[in-house]
Amino acid sequence: MVSENGNMLRGAPFEDAASLPSRAASAYNPLHTFDLARGAEKLYSQQYADMYFLRLKQLQKAVKEKAKEAWTDFVLGEERAKMVDKVLDVRQGELCWIVGTVFMEMGLKPNILDDISKEHWIAAPPPRKTYASHEDEMMLEDESGRLRITGEVLNEHYVTGCVLAALGTEQADGTFQVIATQYADLPRQPQRWERDDSELAPTKKSKPKREKAGKVAIVSGLEITGKVDDELALDLLLEYLTGEASGAPDQSKAAQISRLIIAGDSLSQSSPILSREDFAIKKSGKKGYGYDATSYNASPSERLDMLLSEILPTLPITLLPGASDPASVAIPQQSIHPALFPQSRQYANPPAKSNESREGLDSVTNPWEGDIEGWRFLGTGGQTVEDLLKYVDDVEPLEVMEMMLRWRHIAPTAPDTLWCYPYQDHDPLIVKDCPHIYFAGNQAKFDHRTIRGPTGQQVHLIAVPKFTKTKSIVLVDLETMAVEQVEFAIIQPTVE
Amino acid sequence: MADTYKDYLATRVLHDSRPVTYRLLSRALKVNVNIAKQMLYEFHSSQNTKKPNSVHATFLLTGRRPNSEYTNGTNGRNGEDTIMQSSPPYMSSIPSSMPEPEELPTAPVHKTSIVLVREEELENTKAEFLDITSIHIYSLEAGPIKNLNILSVCNHEVATEYPSKEPLEQWRTYGSIHNPYIKRRDAKFAPPAPKAAPKAAPKPSVAAPAKGKDVSGLGRRGSVSEDNASGRPTPQTTAGIPKALKKSDSQATLKRNTSDIFKSFAKAKPKAKEAEKSKESTPAPPEDDQMQGMSEDEGDEDDLPQVKVDEEKLAAARKARADNEEALRKMMEDDDDDMPDAPLAEEDDSQDAPLDKAPSKPTETEPIVTVQGGRRRGRRKVMKKKTIKNEDGYLVTREEAAWESFSEAEPEPKRPKPAPAKSTSTAKGKKTGKAGQGSIASFFKKA
Repeated sequence: MVSENGNMLRGAPFEDAASLPSRAASAYNPLHTFDLARGAEKLYSQQYADMYFLRLKQLQKAVKEKAKEAWTDFVLGEERAKMVDKVLDVRQGELCWIVGTVFMEMGLKPNILDDISKEHWIAAPPPRKTYASHEDEMMLEDESGRLRITGEVLNEHYVTGCVLAALGTEQADGTFQVIATQYADLPRQPQRWERDDSELAPTKKSKPKREKAGKVAIVSGLEITGKVDDELALDLLLEYLTGEASGAPDQSKAAQISRLIIAGDSLSQSSPILSREDFAIKKSGKKGYGYDATSYNASPSERLDMLLSEILPTLPITLLPGASDPASVAIPQQSIHPALFPQSRQYANPPAKSNESREGLDSVTNPWEGDIEGWRFLGTGGQTVEDLLKYVDDVEPLEVMEMMLRWRHIAPTAPDTLWCYPYQDHDPLIVKDCPHIYFAGNQAKFDHRTIRGPTGQQVHLIAVPKFTKTKSIVLVDLETMAVEQVEFAIIQPTVE
Repeated sequence: MADTYKDYLATRVLHDSRPVTYRLLSRALKVNVNIAKQMLYEFHSSQNTKKPNSVHATFLLTGRRPNSEYTNGTNGRNGEDTIMQSSPPYMSSIPSSMPEPEELPTAPVHKTSIVLVREEELENTKAEFLDITSIHIYSLEAGPIKNLNILSVCNHEVATEYPSKEPLEQWRTYGSIHNPYIKRRDAKFAPPAPKAAPKAAPKPSVAAPAKGKDVSGLGRRGSVSEDNASGRPTPQTTAGIPKALKKSDSQATLKRNTSDIFKSFAKAKPKAKEAEKSKESTPAPPEDDQMQGMSEDEGDEDDLPQVKVDEEKLAAARKARADNEEALRKMMEDDDDDMPDAPLAEEDDSQDAPLDKAPSKPTETEPIVTVQGGRRRGRRKVMKKKTIKNEDGYLVTREEAAWESFSEAEPEPKRPKPAPAKSTSTAKGKKTGKAGQGSIASFFKKA
């Protein structure tokens, strides 16, 4: 049953195993779309209203085009649908379509005023798993005003912040009865190697001969606690990635991996901002003045550093922060500071050159986009998906991911229910280039799907499971786009 | 070599009853991991033929397991998922304006399972597999282990006991996958020129105490930084001394006054600093360069090229440092005795006297200050009023010295800097101990 050269159950004389193939180069060209200005230029005093305005303005054109295409010849009864520029200009009884931002009025949505009143309760209610309830109302707003939406559309899944075109008529009670909706759909998708080639063009260099691409491994939710319990699975992961575990056939498969992406939540509960519950616990404890250095536990980050520094000599790593990581908490999370990795940062770029790509450790933002082997990758630590799932019932993470791409926005629910940097003059969270691979970390289970866009775009959606829960990682073959899973299991002895 | 592994395994597994993994064995004997796996098997089978069940093994299986069983497992574990399972296809609820769901048929995902199992459960586990691509012994233990998690100590040992000097070269020895494209950047702080060492050799007595102080300050920060302090700066410090001594006679005081302001802005010039350090050899105030290891753009000290230093000089330095540390520890213990009073005093203050009044006489002696970016932090000694009831029932107010940490936003350039110098002369032991501790601000300092 066991293949010949994979069976290592043989003793002396010891024969040297054939040496493993070296790893292929990982053509890596990260984008810095989500890097925020540093220091004093990072302002938090602006209003979030600008974000919605920017979003509407940037997506309006695409949505309008889509709607025009679909509805110019739409006739209902005797009436022809026409476009109305502003939400407030809609006349009663007139068949028309408008473009606006969705706002969901939800009773269960967190509310700052509720938060304040909670302070006066003895026990705060548990955090909601979902915001959805039966009394939810949907609105469509633009810079002029809001319209209440009724009709079939309410049964669908729209969330605050996505930009839509809606076709319908205003009723006597002032609500807008919607017949159909349109959204922007997938944007243009770059060709493979497009960006790398265009960067070469001015230098008049000929295209480099590109070797066959390897695989990329994606793992998320390592949630290292520094305790002994989760060590062994990490050991197996490490030994698999370095090609030490298993026999020759599996080792040479592991050698095809040319990059590891860690998609968030590498450390457990290291977010600088405590959850409400943790805060309450801490507050009830002893009263102290200032920061209590004794409560800091360095072992999780030391363990992560150790893990990374043992993988790095053989495999380059792209590290995204996640909700529980010691990075900034608002989307886009900025990269985890290299000072946390005294060992592994020697494989990273020196800070002055951190914008250059390099084989080694790249601590990046969340969300992150970049080119690997010419393919455009877009990835998040999973917060965007998790937050969106609270708005809708009976929807799977992959569907949410698909909708986000079709709405052309990575985090539509920010800043409503997801912390977000108050962008002032541009919104990088709008999807400008359609990715080839879109992954979200820290999902409940592994899933993947390929979707197609109106102009032939193909996107591979991958929900990466939490490593702590499933003990599995995802491999993507960058030539065939085939997705694989590798799981680690430890059969603990049954208690006698 | 043939028998070294037997000795090693016999000592470790049979005698010490400690588990050993193939990875640890390969590091200990410097052999390829695949050979280590075979060694484990050889040892396991030969020992068990001699004496059955004397050695236990865990196995690592790689292959394909049926998928269904796995998904059942997840459902069982994650009850919240049930909603998802029964969900209708999302696309069906999307209005006609949407493009038809153009889902490409998704091929079943290939899944590789890597399973670690004890020999007791091996056969059952093997039976679950559809096919097995590799199998090898993962570890050996003296007896059946209750919890496989204890095997992680082996890898921990690999990381701590056998740190590799050349991580990029270890694939040659151990057979991990080689990646020719990975580069490792050298630590930024350049190792000192080796020839500096002999020149400085005649002065080890001065160098050693100065360095000893450094180490004491670093003591809490773990062994790595200590290694750093002992291994690296030795020649640097000593190299700096001859020059420094020449200058210091004439300019000592002047330089000390200016250097504090400089320090707050400039990237510290190592020489000036070394000079200063060697001058005020007794209570070196916490200097920033101790923390170099933590600064952003430097590598770790482990990969530094080993500097050739005179062996005897090193030994002398080491001894001096040990003495110093011993002395310091004593001082620290003394401190600890004092400390319980301090919080008491503060508490009393908060009740009786307004806080502002507490340090009524600003008899702050020799604050230990680090200045950085216009923010001063440190600890200072403050005379605090303490009111207690004496045995006659009277309230007695006494002034007591207490240490207080502070950080101020605005710089205080006019603060008389010679203060530390004064303390030098009195050379109170207490201060040195504190100096080591107060250096948190230097943590943030760029080198």
